[in-house]
Amino acid sequence: MTTASSAAPSAEVTAIDASARCPLLLLLGAALLWLVVSGALALLNLLQLSTPSLAADCAVMTFGRTAAMQQTAFLYGWAANAGLAVVLWLLGRLGGSPLRSLNWTVAGALFWNLSVALSLVGIGTGDGASHAWLHLPAYVQPLMLVAYAAMVVPGVLAWTGRRQPMMFAAQWYAVAALVLFPWIFSGAQLMLSFAPERGVLQALVAGWFGQGAWSLWLAPLALAAAYYLVPKVGGRAIPSYDFAILSFWTLIFVGSWTGGRHLIGGPVPAWTITVAGVACVLLLFHYIVVGINLRGAFACGGSTVLRFIALGLGAYLLGGLGDALTAFRGVAVVTQFTHLATAQSQLALTGAFSLTIFGAIYFMVPRLTGQAWPSGSLIRGHFFAALLGTLILIGALAVAGWIQGQDLNNATVSFAAIAAHTQPWLLIAAAGQAVLVVGNGLLLVHLVRAIACRWLKPAPAIFPEAPTMEVSRS
Amino acid sequence: MSDPHPIDPRLEQAGASDESLLAAHEQMLGRKPEDDAHYRKLPLVLLFVFSGLIFYAGTYLNHFSGRYDGATFNENGAPGQAGGATAPVDPLVQGKKNYDQVCITCHQATGLGIPGVYPPLAGSEWVLGSEERLVRIVLHGLKGPVKVKGVEYGAAAMPVFGKVAGSGYNWSDEKIASVLTYVRQSFGNSASAITPAQVSAIHAKEADRKEWTQDELLRLP
Repeated sequence: MTTASSAAPSAEVTAIDASARCPLLLLLGAALLWLVVSGALALLNLLQLSTPSLAADCAVMTFGRTAAMQQTAFLYGWAANAGLAVVLWLLGRLGGSPLRSLNWTVAGALFWNLSVALSLVGIGTGDGASHAWLHLPAYVQPLMLVAYAAMVVPGVLAWTGRRQPMMFAAQWYAVAALVLFPWIFSGAQLMLSFAPERGVLQALVAGWFGQGAWSLWLAPLALAAAYYLVPKVGGRAIPSYDFAILSFWTLIFVGSWTGGRHLIGGPVPAWTITVAGVACVLLLFHYIVVGINLRGAFACGGSTVLRFIALGLGAYLLGGLGDALTAFRGVAVVTQFTHLATAQSQLALTGAFSLTIFGAIYFMVPRLTGQAWPSGSLIRGHFFAALLGTLILIGALAVAGWIQGQDLNNATVSFAAIAAHTQPWLLIAAAGQAVLVVGNGLLLVHLVRAIACRWLKPAPAIFPEAPTMEVSRS
Repeated sequence: MSDPHPIDPRLEQAGASDESLLAAHEQMLGRKPEDDAHYRKLPLVLLFVFSGLIFYAGTYLNHFSGRYDGATFNENGAPGQAGGATAPVDPLVQGKKNYDQVCITCHQATGLGIPGVYPPLAGSEWVLGSEERLVRIVLHGLKGPVKVKGVEYGAAAMPVFGKVAGSGYNWSDEKIASVLTYVRQSFGNSASAITPAQVSAIHAKEADRKEWTQDELLRLP
């Protein structure tokens, strides 16, 4: 065992982490700020669903705008910043040398977060676009593309300059997320904002972008974190690792084809929906292999990092199964265009993505600051708030959606009656969202404390030399 | 976990170094199947699962693709059903379309033909006169000299248009009726329309035969 000090760090806390400290903490701080903003807006949104008169006199605070602001703050504020921070960090570590050109990340992050702030103002004043996952006003979109390109420069450099020629699964997913997002983002900008497609093609493009942003960007970001941390923390190699590559390519090739599932029952050619449904079912192969590969997360042995990742993984697998089930037209007849669709996207975003990234943050921040988190109870508090809030939010939304879908198919139930039937469940969902906001607020406070302690009360932590991994014989 | 001590959530330790993590997984990929003492069931199971999913996907696509037709919105609907009601076709519109594609090369857009080579349709006694003769000319063609508006033509032959042996066009009776109607009501002509039934009757009566000559046609009413 070696004792760590700020002058001579041990092998486990290396120059790789130290050099990336400020840029990555900047990304994480911005991410958590947006997460809390988005959570507060989501709470307002859910309350507006059951009490439509709430803040209805203020144009900025009307449901359509707050919903768009909430989603934008979550996707482009929280998910982008946090996902990139985690992925840049792990690409640096697996690349074997300190991240280079981090100034690009800092500059990019400044412009990116300014753009997100500008987007929220733009949406509030009525400039937002009307596409799910792409509510950003048209004038912000090109700037965000450039900022994103600048932010990922160190990641791409770490990947091309890696010490070991062989790539590990976490690196596949990380690099795929880094390079595929500009493709779908620029494609969507072109086809939705600057040379908009007409008619149903526009809805198809929006569906493709929304699904692509999940399957080719956010899901790979979270999977990169999980594929790195499960063996890293658990200390055991990934079982059936030789299938991971098949699973990866299944996601990359089939993932964005599932976009048409959002249009089941819509006025689009039948084959586009059929192909999307088939793609959802084919994607089950990806989920099965991910479940087999990462099952080590469920044997977390008291590790909070792995507990978070296990919850995220559970949500991811459940979400994949749910997508496949609701892609059947017989099920979609009830579920499509209801709160259940919202529950599904929440399962993916606040469930699979956020919980996995929380786990990564709890592992990463002590290595970036070089010292332990200030408080164990804040971590436990956040964990239970996240667990409870996610379960209540998604469960209540799913029940509300199912009731709503059954009622909508019954011509004798009036619209007012449907609203009355779903109202109690929406209030429960709002309670879940409130718990989530509190929990995420705890993490934000904790991160601020961790950064403050780093400079005010330096107490370098001990990072013992990590053991050597044995190859399992599975 | 090999560590017997409780984990401090404030500072979780790594279970493996990055180098050994990369090396261990690289080694797993390079491992040959016979390196294992025991037989691995999982690859076979996954192969079956994936094959099953692909089989299902192919079957589902085959049933509900709507033949990949952009106008089919009901996945259970047979192709072509999606179009809905069809409006009756105006023979003058269809006739002009066909005339402009084919007839126009010889008889010209004006219907005046080319003096000395291709006879005119405007004011022609063949066009405005006997319907029996006119339909036969288009159905089976016309060869040899023909006198139109007092001028002798013979350099070119009228091709075979009908759905008969030796035809280069295989136009349906309906198509022939519409083009004849167009010719009889354009270029200053104003004669009665030709119905598809008229063409079909003559088609059935004459069946397959070689091109008509002027003399044969003049013997008809």
